[in-house]
Amino acid sequence: MENKGIGKFTVSFGLSFAIISVLSALLVVLKETHEETVLAWMKSLTGHHWATHGIINLIVFVVLGWILPKLGNGQGMKISANVLVIAVVGAVILSEIIITGFYI
Amino acid sequence: MENILLLVHPALGGLATLTALWVFVDTLNVREETLSRIKNVSLLCALLMWLTYFLGGYWYLVYYAADKAIIKAGPWAFGHGFFMETKEHVFLMLILLATFLPIVASNNLAVDKGARKLALWVSGLIVPISLSMEGSGAVISIAVKVGLLFKGLGG
Repeated sequence: MENKGIGKFTVSFGLSFAIISVLSALLVVLKETHEETVLAWMKSLTGHHWATHGIINLIVFVVLGWILPKLGNGQGMKISANVLVIAVVGAVILSEIIITGFYI
Repeated sequence: MENILLLVHPALGGLATLTALWVFVDTLNVREETLSRIKNVSLLCALLMWLTYFLGGYWYLVYYAADKAIIKAGPWAFGHGFFMETKEHVFLMLILLATFLPIVASNNLAVDKGARKLALWVSGLIVPISLSMEGSGAVISIAVKVGLLFKGLGG
């Protein structure tokens, strides 16, 4: 059984998830506090701000997930599994706090 | 159609939660022979979560406005103001977490301790977040019922 280590796409999509989770939570605050501009713009794109929000999240998640492995001459980002776990779990907790905190 | 969607949406979400729990337990006891099963169930979890998202999203975009008006006019206005608002935005994060699960499961979890740890955390996070989605959905449903009763009583 050969251990080749954690895959570069696992790292890239993990980091991508962490980044977009926090950005998505911040976008919630931004759009809800700027209804005439940001929320209206998001509504104008698809007819509903929530649909636009989901599409933005998906695009950033996929694009970052594909771009990050190309860093470092195609070697991808070198981070340990522990750091990736901290990034993913931390992003989930932080985005939950931002979203629930905003609507409380 | 509307009511069927309201049944299928949380049912699929519940199945997605169970598959995430399956991945968590299977990963705790991972062996070379169980790797393909973990990969398949991880993929199933992501597919079920996306189906939940599309069906719930369709219902939300097409039918929810009427329920929202009832909730906001009733005594359980927090059913929309907190529970639906939180649910719809946390779900956007949950769907990507579920999408990430089969990517993590594509590693050799039997050999790579780091990947195994990551799989446990990702699947382990999906379960409580999904359950909170189910719970929020229940509160939203009750908020509609309370709103209708309130309206019926001339509130």
